[in-house]
This record gives sequence, C-alpha cells and structure tokens, in this order.
Amino acid sequence: MTAWDLDDGVLRAVLSAALATGGEFAEIFAEDRDSTSVRLEDRKVEELVSGRDRGAGIRVVKGESTAFAFTNRLDRDALIDAAKAAAAGLSDQRRVDATDLRRERETILNPVAIDPRDVPADRKVAYVVAVDDAARAEGGSEIRQVIASYAEGAQRVLIANSEGLLVRDNRTRTRVSCQVVAARGDVIQTGYHSPGASAGFEHLDAYPPAAVAAVAVRQAIVMLGSVPAPAGEMPVVLAPGGGGVLFHEACGHGLEADLCHKHASVYRDRAGEKIGSELVSGVDEGNLPGSWGSFAFDDEGTPSQRTMLFEDGVLTGYLTDRIRARAMSLKQSGNGRRQSYAHLPIPRMTNSSILPGRDDPDEILRGTKKGLYAKSFGGGQVNTATGDFVFGLTEAYLIENGTITTPVRGANLIGNGPDILARIDAVGRDFEVWWGVCGKDAQSVPVTTGMPTVRIAKITVGGTG
Amino acid sequence: MSDLDALCRAALDAAAGDEHLEAYAEWGRKTDVKVYDGRVESLTSAEARGLGVRIIDGGRVGYAYAADPDPDEVRAVVEQARANAVLGSADDGNVLPEPEPIEPLDGIYLPQIAATSTDAKVALALELERLTRAADPRVTGVEEAQYGDSISRVAIRSTRGVAAEVERGDCWAVVSALANQGDETQTGFSFELARAPEHLNLARCGTEAATRASRMLGARKPATEKMPVLLDPYAAASFLGVLAAGLTAEAVLKGRSLFAGKEGAAVAAGVFTLVDDGRELKGPGASPFDDEGVPTRRTPLIEAGVLRGFLHNTYTARRMGGHSTGNAGRAGFKSTPGVGPSNLFVAPGSLDQAGLLGKAGRALLVQDLIGVHSGANPISGDFSVGVTGLVHDGGADPMPIREAAIAGTILQILGAITDVGSDLRFFGSTGSPTLLIGEMTVAGS
Repeated sequence: MTAWDLDDGVLRAVLSAALATGGEFAEIFAEDRDSTSVRLEDRKVEELVSGRDRGAGIRVVKGESTAFAFTNRLDRDALIDAAKAAAAGLSDQRRVDATDLRRERETILNPVAIDPRDVPADRKVAYVVAVDDAARAEGGSEIRQVIASYAEGAQRVLIANSEGLLVRDNRTRTRVSCQVVAARGDVIQTGYHSPGASAGFEHLDAYPPAAVAAVAVRQAIVMLGSVPAPAGEMPVVLAPGGGGVLFHEACGHGLEADLCHKHASVYRDRAGEKIGSELVSGVDEGNLPGSWGSFAFDDEGTPSQRTMLFEDGVLTGYLTDRIRARAMSLKQSGNGRRQSYAHLPIPRMTNSSILPGRDDPDEILRGTKKGLYAKSFGGGQVNTATGDFVFGLTEAYLIENGTITTPVRGANLIGNGPDILARIDAVGRDFEVWWGVCGKDAQSVPVTTGMPTVRIAKITVGGTG
Repeated sequence: MSDLDALCRAALDAAAGDEHLEAYAEWGRKTDVKVYDGRVESLTSAEARGLGVRIIDGGRVGYAYAADPDPDEVRAVVEQARANAVLGSADDGNVLPEPEPIEPLDGIYLPQIAATSTDAKVALALELERLTRAADPRVTGVEEAQYGDSISRVAIRSTRGVAAEVERGDCWAVVSALANQGDETQTGFSFELARAPEHLNLARCGTEAATRASRMLGARKPATEKMPVLLDPYAAASFLGVLAAGLTAEAVLKGRSLFAGKEGAAVAAGVFTLVDDGRELKGPGASPFDDEGVPTRRTPLIEAGVLRGFLHNTYTARRMGGHSTGNAGRAGFKSTPGVGPSNLFVAPGSLDQAGLLGKAGRALLVQDLIGVHSGANPISGDFSVGVTGLVHDGGADPMPIREAAIAGTILQILGAITDVGSDLRFFGSTGSPTLLIGEMTVAGS
C-alpha cells in the first residue's frame, strides 16, 4: 500500500475515528519517500544507500490543543489504530463526522524531467567521482581531502482533512555537494558548495562536476591565505547569496508565527511598524518553480504562495501554519511544513529573500572605506525573543579603501536582527541564492535564502586579530 | 524470538552463499507532551519500526533500508544492498565485526515509563510549566514545557555470528522560560534526563530555567576586557561537542582531526581528563553494545592533559591496526555505522561552581556559547563564538552581558584550563562540569 493509493473510504473512516472524542479538526498526512545517496570521501565511494520510508501522521485539533499519532503502516487497521491513539489525547465524547473529500486539482509546480529513480546508480556514482577528480585537479597539492555527495529524494504526500480537503503533492529533490579541505603549513581551511533543486536528475546538467568543485576549491584555497579577522564595530558588506543566511536567521525565524504567538519573537505584534531601513524589502516564496525550498502545497495542503515580510522597511507579514493563523487571526500563508509523517507541521520559511535594490554592487564597495566583506556564512544562531544573533563567516575579506583585499578567518558577526535591518544603508541590484537545510524544533526542511549585495553601516565583528 | 530478531533472521535468510551481511532492526515507541499556558499544546504518541541491511562484498559496502518491511520487502532490501555494494569502492577496512561476548547492562530499561499513563505524563509537563513560572516573579511566560519519553529496541544479527538485542528507556523534561522587564525579554533553558519519569527533578529543572532567564535581564554589551572565563556545564558540553568531532579515528583517517599524530603528547592542561564510557549509567548514551554489536567499554581519550587515543568502530580499528572501542554509531536504521561518542565526559574535580568563582576573582561565567556550529572549526581548531553570561566580581550582583565574543583555538583553550568543577552533567552524548579557563579576551565594544 502506498500513500497515493489510500482510497476515500479509508481516509474518511480514519478521519471519523480521529474525531470520535470531540476534536474539531482531523487530518491525515501520508507519505512515501524513496531516497538514494552517494558519498565519496578520501577518493573512495564510501556509501551508496537506498531506502524507502513510508508512514502516516494523524492529528486531531481542538482549540489550541493538538493530539498526534504516527505509524509506518498504511493499512486501514493500522491507520484507524493511530487515529484512535490521537483521539485518545483529547477527552470529550461528542462525535463529529468528517465531510466528503474534495480532491484538489494537482498542481505541478516543480516539473521533473528525469525521475532520478529511473537513472542507473552508476551515473550517480560517476558524478561524485567526477567532482572529486575535478576538485583535486583544480586545487592541486594543497587539497588534503574532498568529500563529494549526491542525494535524491522522491516524496509523494497525501493530505486529507475533516473539512474535506484532499491533496496530493509530489516533491522530488536533487542535491549535490562538494566539500574541500585544503592545507598550507599549519593552516587548514575548508570550502563548500551544495546546490539543490526541486527537480529531477536534470539538475545535474545545470551543475557540472567541475563547476561545483571549483566553487569549493576556490573558497578553501583563498582562505589558506587568510589572516585572523579583526574585532570591533565596522561596516560589513554582505555578498549576494550567502549573506541571505543572515536574513533567514536574524529576521525570518522571528516572523514565524508560532514564536510570535508565544511571545518569543522580537517581531511580535509589530505589523505595520517600520523596523528596517526603507531600502529593505523581504519575501518568502514557497511557489518559486523548481527551487529547492518549493512545493505546490504545504504539509497541511495549503497552496504555496508569496508572502511579503517587509516592504520598504515596514513589517508586512508573518509566516503561518493553520493553527497559528487561526489563533492570531492571520492569513494562512502556506508555510506549515514538517520533516516527515513523524512530525507535526510548524511555520517554516521556504525560499526567503531580501529583494534586490537599486545600488550598483561595485559602488557599494567603493563607498566603504574600511570594513569587512562577508561572502560565505557557516550558519549561525539567533535568540528569537531578543533578536540577538551570532554568525560565523567561512569566507570573508577586509575592505580597504573601497576594495576587497586580504581574506580573514575566524570572523563572527554579532548583533541584533531589528537593529541591523535598520542599519542597512545600501542594497544592490544583483541577486544570488544559497541552498540549505534549516533546523527548528528538531525538524529539518530544505530552504533557500536569496540576497543582493547589502551593506550594514555598523555591526560588531568578533575576531581574533 | 522477538519481532526484530525475526526481521534480522529474514534478512540473513536472503543472504547469498558466503555473503557478509548484517541486519540492523529497530523499534521505538515515543510519547511527547508539550504544554503552553496551562494546557496541552501537542501530544504525540507513535510507534515505528525499520530495517537496515549492510552487505560487504570484497571490501565494498552496499546499504539499503525500509520502514516496517513485509517479508517480500525484506528480500528487496537485501537485493538493493547487494546491488549497491557493486558500485562501492573496495577498502580492506570494510569488514563486519566478529562476535564478542556482551555483558548485559542492567538499568538502561526501567519499567516505569511503560507503566505511566498518558494523563500522568501530561501532568508532569503541566507541573514543570507551573514550577518554572513560580520560581521567579520576573518569569512572565514559558515558551515551552515538555515531557518526552522513548522506549526502543535494537537487534543486530550478522552472517559472521553477531547476535545482539537490547531494550532501553529514556525520558526527559525540557523547559524554556521567558523573563521580562520593561520591553526586554530574556530566555533561559533547562532540561533533565532520566530512565524513569519519577527520577526527573522537575523543581530543579524549572528553577534553573527561570534563573537562567531572569539573571540575564539588563544584559549589556560589555567593554572589551581580559579576564578568566568559566564555561558552565551547558557551555562546556557544547565546547566538548566540537572536540568530539576530532577525537574519532574516522576524523584522523580522513585528515579532519586537529589531534592527528598527537598521541602521547600533551594537548590540554594537566587538570583535564576526558573519557568515553558506554557503560556509564549516568550518561544517556549507555548501552551494552554499539551499533555494530560490539561491546562498549571505557576509553580514556585525554588523561591528565595527554592524548591517549581515539574512538573506533570496526572499520577504523582495522585501518589503524587496533580494536574497535565499541563506538560505532548510527542515526537509526537508515544509516550505515560511523564513529561517535557514547558518553563522552570530563572527569570532575573537587570544587563546585561557587568554589571556582571564588578562586577566579573577577571573571566571566559563560552560560551560553552562541554559534558553536559555525564559529568553531573542528578541523582547523579555530574557535570564535558569541557568549552570554555573568561577570562576577566577588559582589552579590554579577553583571549580565550579551553580544560579546571569545576567540582562540581549541588547543589554546584546552591548554589554558586551570581547574575543573565537581558539577558534572550530561547533555546528550557529552557531559562536563564547569571548566575554569585562564585569561581570555572577552570582546565587546
């Protein structure tokens, strides 16, 4: 039995069982996921792993309480048992019946030209071997290690709820990556590149092995010549693409409605307020065709959409799931996501970006006498309640007299989300995207962040130099 | 024969001839209660099962898995693993472990979790929230109070004769307190781990979260200053997490360890001893055997500052000419065994935290390291992270600070440890007492 084979009779029976104890809303999220990954390290194809995961999560909501059960069996009896287990989490005895299911029209947001499951595994192995070869050829004797990987996932979900919604979505994603470790004397540095897409095997055509390897190699080799980063307050120019991690962490998470609802966000109740500089407009777009963070329907069956988060510095939107939208009288924004059937949906970003502005990126640099150019972020951490954050930079440079000069290592950006939004004094007209996997409440989901060249007039840099 | 062992046997039955095949089956049942504002926000109860099959053919590894497979699917998993092995690279290190006698480890499964009703588990989470709110008047909310537990079983069986099965139970309480003053909000976190719900000290958990939030109210960015730094057990454990990555033989073999080639050399101050012990019941990672069915043991890694060795699984031991230390670990049935700590902890000293503070004079007590995953590089050893905490100066009112940073290298920090506290606590697979480090630059404005 697969998720897409579940018939309406079974679904209605499961939803009715879930509502037997007085729940107001019941939902079944069923999925099949076929995954294959290849990992090469130390010139060896270490791992070729294939597998199938399958299961269904059933949730019942009453007021703001949710009861949830999941199982990895998709037969009628197992699903009814799970529905009863969820229903037992709520106590009343009043019974509500599920209404008839209306099958939503399937939307193909992310067309798959070549289903990766149909591609022989030796081609996937050949790709990572080619990345390894290219990285070693490009980087020469300073390359100490190369880790190359390929991963595909074909997830087919079915979502049905007691309001009659019935949605199916096919999410096929493909991602490749190259990590390089380079050494010169005592200095060891790493470089990393990992483009992903909601697409099939054709994604690899857009990212030939040499191109992926070159980005990682360049970063590692450049950073071998780095000096310890300076410390103190200074202007920081964020490079397009990678700098978007800062927006994602320092602003995006605080706009997720679950955190606002619990008073755990510095952005709570501030819609309509001018928080950022008028140069800042930000957006979340789950409906970008083919993008790594996209889907046609979110994990509650709400169509993905574009949500303006900031317009000219004014906070204009929050990211919601079903429960939080109801509780806070906000629109359902199609951001209810879950890692798998074994997780409850929560508000998450999809493809979030700061929109391009009007400045010439070269002019932004030329106008910066002394500062830091932040090209690649290693990730970061934010306290959403205060907005305070710290981000490590894996590739950064000094800016001296308007020019990018010496690479620096060990640099951190330390600041506060609303503060730095207000301190943005230039936004470039360029734009690039970075691919990542975002973790929250122990759930990982694919996301992208997009960013033009952006300058923050002043921010604290933590460094050792 | 358990259901898991039956799954393993079904996979072994599908092995071809003298093929080397290992089956890993797991089952888990979990409960998770989150409460908010005096009511249940979510209650999760679930059961799941899965099988992973590793086939080694001429030093080539193939792996495949399936969630809750039926007999046909078990055969398909074995066939898929076999097909995948063909495309792997041959490596002499790839062998399945020989069977070794396994000493049972009493106490990792207690019957109380299964015997506790869901209502009682909900009551524990509600009580934790109440205790947290009551602990300090400045606590205005609890972002989340959670009770969770899991009962799990693992069975491993191989064509080389490994046959092992274990059942374990774990439960935990987690709370995040919000403290308010004017328009300032601070958060404080705490958690408890145990093997029976009644062993969770909810009052201690709630009080700690409340204290960690409220004592940060009024935090300011400090002026840059050199002073001794204490890492409290939370902060120290996250520092250890970075070390752990370099203490596996896998990292050494792949050129990713800053400790490579330093065996027998001093890598830390003499007060510092670091041990991995899979049979230490105080640690949540206790288990009689690892994820390849090799018995766990006590492995000294750094003794009185001197590097003694690395953590091994069967592969790394064979490559480096030693014996597995019983540190094969996997993220469940979907993954092949890697190398990781079981319970990795710093041997405690004699002074409690107050004693260390008294010894340090004017010093920063770090309660959170921020950005460890990005700011600490286990390969190069660069370490540059944000810190929040309290500057103690002998007086009653330490000054809370935020937006500050400390930086150096991992080896510098290890070498600068001047004392180790008695307050050992475990956080997942790592545990530490408070660590007192000599002067560091605390960078502010």
